[in-house]
Amino acid sequence: MTKRITLAATTALAGLMLAGAAQAETITIGITQNNVGVDSYQTTYEKAFIEAAEANENVEAIVLDAGGDVARQIAQIQDLIQQEVDAIIIWPTNGKAVVPAVRKADQAGIPVVITNSNIAEEGFEFIESFSGPDNITQGAYSAELMCDALDGEGQIVQISGQPGYTTAIERQKGFEDRLAEACPGVTIMETQPGDWNREKSQRVMESFLVKYDEIDGVYSGDDNMGVGALNAAKAAGRADGMIFVGATNFAVGYEAMGRGEYYGSIYQSPVDDARNALATAIAVVNGEDVPFLNYFDTPKITQENMEEFSKPVF
Amino acid sequence: MASTTSPDRIKDLTTVLARQGILIAFILFMIGFGLVSDRFLTPENLMTVVRQSAIIGVMAIGVTVVVLSGNLDLSVGSMLSFATVLVVDLHDKLGAAPAIGVMLVATLCIGAINGFLVGFLRLNSLIVTLGMLSAIQGVTLIYSGGKNVDIADQETTWFAIFGRGEVLGMATPIVIFLGLAAIMHLVIAYTPYGRRIYAVGGNPTAAVFSGIRRNRVVFSTYLVSAFCVGIAAIILGSRVMGSQNNVGQGYELLVLSAVILGGTSLLGGSGTIWKTVIGVLILGFIQNGLLLLGFPYFAQWIVTWIVIILAVWLDVAAKRGRLFSPIA
Amino acid sequence: MAQVLSTPTAPRLSGAFRWLLRHPIWGFVAVVFIFFSFATAHFFDVQNLQNVLVQTSTIGLIALGMTLVMINGNIDLSVGATLALAASLTVDIMGWPVFADWGNWQLLPAVLAGLAAGVAIGALNGIIVWKTGVDAFIVTLGAMLGVRGLVFVYTEEQSFYAMNFAYSDFGASSIGPLPTLAVIFIVCAIAIHLLLSQTVHGRNTYAVGGNREAAVNAGIRVGPHMVVNFMIVGFFAALAGITLSTQMGASTPNLGRDYELWVITAVVLGGTKLTGGAGNIIGTLGGVLAIGILRNGMNLMQVPAFYVLVILGTILIAVLFLDKQLNRKGEEELRL
Repeated sequence: MTKRITLAATTALAGLMLAGAAQAETITIGITQNNVGVDSYQTTYEKAFIEAAEANENVEAIVLDAGGDVARQIAQIQDLIQQEVDAIIIWPTNGKAVVPAVRKADQAGIPVVITNSNIAEEGFEFIESFSGPDNITQGAYSAELMCDALDGEGQIVQISGQPGYTTAIERQKGFEDRLAEACPGVTIMETQPGDWNREKSQRVMESFLVKYDEIDGVYSGDDNMGVGALNAAKAAGRADGMIFVGATNFAVGYEAMGRGEYYGSIYQSPVDDARNALATAIAVVNGEDVPFLNYFDTPKITQENMEEFSKPVF
Repeated sequence: MASTTSPDRIKDLTTVLARQGILIAFILFMIGFGLVSDRFLTPENLMTVVRQSAIIGVMAIGVTVVVLSGNLDLSVGSMLSFATVLVVDLHDKLGAAPAIGVMLVATLCIGAINGFLVGFLRLNSLIVTLGMLSAIQGVTLIYSGGKNVDIADQETTWFAIFGRGEVLGMATPIVIFLGLAAIMHLVIAYTPYGRRIYAVGGNPTAAVFSGIRRNRVVFSTYLVSAFCVGIAAIILGSRVMGSQNNVGQGYELLVLSAVILGGTSLLGGSGTIWKTVIGVLILGFIQNGLLLLGFPYFAQWIVTWIVIILAVWLDVAAKRGRLFSPIA
Repeated sequence: MAQVLSTPTAPRLSGAFRWLLRHPIWGFVAVVFIFFSFATAHFFDVQNLQNVLVQTSTIGLIALGMTLVMINGNIDLSVGATLALAASLTVDIMGWPVFADWGNWQLLPAVLAGLAAGVAIGALNGIIVWKTGVDAFIVTLGAMLGVRGLVFVYTEEQSFYAMNFAYSDFGASSIGPLPTLAVIFIVCAIAIHLLLSQTVHGRNTYAVGGNREAAVNAGIRVGPHMVVNFMIVGFFAALAGITLSTQMGASTPNLGRDYELWVITAVVLGGTKLTGGAGNIIGTLGGVLAIGILRNGMNLMQVPAFYVLVILGTILIAVLFLDKQLNRKGEEELRL
């Protein structure tokens, strides 16, 4: 990451020199986020983004939050177009619904970078780049983790994220498709949403435990929900031998992994996510070439390799 | 005269039955689910559902008191988020007991603000508590910086007793829920304070003329509601050993649905605590029963829709003695 | 000269003042408008003011219908879910293969179906309220959950995307200096204002909310009357869903969540009484604009999201308090 930042700083410096001694060229970048405060990931992301922007004296950032509401996000995009920012970063509340607003930004000549979760393909022609993790691949990785842990044989349940939101849908799809392909011996008995909420998934898991006498594994759309499921299984005295796999490694998941209660997850750093988005946007403004799908790496994490990763701050 | 007695008696019987309509609906409902799912009526499942319902249940007790006095409290959901984040965050900083103390005081202060605005300033309770819903959510986020909070030593803290422990062989949340319900039921049904609440809710002007200090009664109901939210937060924090900033989001309407299902009139002045408990259990068992039957989650919403309307209709019809409303 | 001049202006001034007293929310709108005009460079700008109009039109359209229902002494909490249902139906139906070779006419059956769904939900709510006598708050609270469930049944969690760009182009189009969506909102507002102030139905709306027994005695058929108003709010929720989805060219199943609360807030800020019998469209417009301007202005000023929640909540209560002070009536002062 530091490499990228330095790169961005040097290019900004180069731009500054090109602009001559007459005036320092600062660029304004607006960002509208999905729903800060709904979970720690998004909050840490926002903080990291603001810090990264402040560290770069040539960048002025306008940081907005859509509160999970598509309509409010569109209004914010309109407001950013109105302010004639140099680039807009969007963390879509919904991959399809923001497309026309993105198109509007494009028509106004403002480059758009999508962060964290991508927009629908129909909108690809209006954006410069996507920066973020690949949710489908994350779901697939989780399926592989589950498959390894169960030796290709078992019955599992799935606790998905909030219905109707892109990240939840994509992770579920990636997981289900890859599991069917790589691991036909593992069957998903049932899927219920945990709404990204630990208490809700604890409740869902409690009902699963009543309903099924044998559960070999639990896949949760993120570690926060996964730990809720783990809580429920422990309380029922059935956690031993049950495999828990999540995504977006949280601190609680990291700790449970250290204790050997939680099998594996996907390591995704909101700090990397935020810096990657800002660096991509700066590069776009400066007219550099950026890959259209600028994924940052989100590796598998289990007890075996967890030493390589620092404990998540959220 | 003799000829009128037997229809009268039948009528009496039907009114008694109708008055307990919600209880009958509950029993029928339990039997129905029990017939189609062999897991539903197992002691394990029954205990699980009551334990899960305790958080909503404790909040519903407080909200019932507010509604009885003729007001609403829509701020309980974000107040729950606030209280849970506070008690979990302070647990590691101050220790369990001080954390609980500080959290209860802070939550009661919020209740006092609600109570002051609605009771003394006579502002509309729907809008006041809606405004508070938004404001408290913001305060919670500012306090936590938007981050989740967790308790570090989950295995050793005695704080675990509230959400995970047992008292007298029964899960603590159940004991707290049913104990609080019993106490509040006695207070509301048999004490002068309870009578004042019914009077204020039933006919505020008459209540004032009979010397009841309406402002103070309304104020106090919001303290009761906030206190219940504080208790719910202790159960929730201890059960999860952590909290999110939006953990109570949407609970205000869930809680209100339970209160309404229990037959408490939104106009105030009529309703009882123990029927609210039934309302809470119905909602809990719908969710659990449909999940056991393998229905998708959205079926639960549609069934809740139908159940709420049928249950309240039954209740209203019984009170007026005819099925359809006399409105032309 | 001075005398001649002052005589005509004085009553006009006091007339404006009296108007403001009747609609105190417009005073607040003026204050926030002036405040943001000075506080941020981008607020007072034709383009931004157009944005504000479009952004408020969604909540605004629903608020028009909600005003009628609330003057009736009822309430409708299901509007957010109805909005999502209409949006999903409309965007999905226009993509049906049946209409594939209809060109832009494929929008017509889709929009009609969306509006019909809204009217149907409204009629269902209204008939339940009428026939069962269950409080509208409860009936529509149930519907709020249930209709959202229907949305998820229909969409299977998916968002729909309007393949026909004419749909989103419509949402972005303008008539003269005004965005089309704002024009729709203004036309509807005028229509409902006339309905409420000039027609028998409007007079009945106040009568039913003010004193139901008297209304019955006056020969008003209260039940069907209320059903009509529920159908109107259902229609406007659906229309708002359609206009909102033209802005996005898409629909999502979670659309319109919490809108019921903001709509009710706007209507109450506009002076409509929750107990019924009083209220008007001019006030509702003020309430809607107040919320829209506050949100837009705070975006432009980059107020952090957490503080926006606190500020909105506090202002809401403060406005309610001020309104109460201004409208204080002697008989209500039974302070003990």
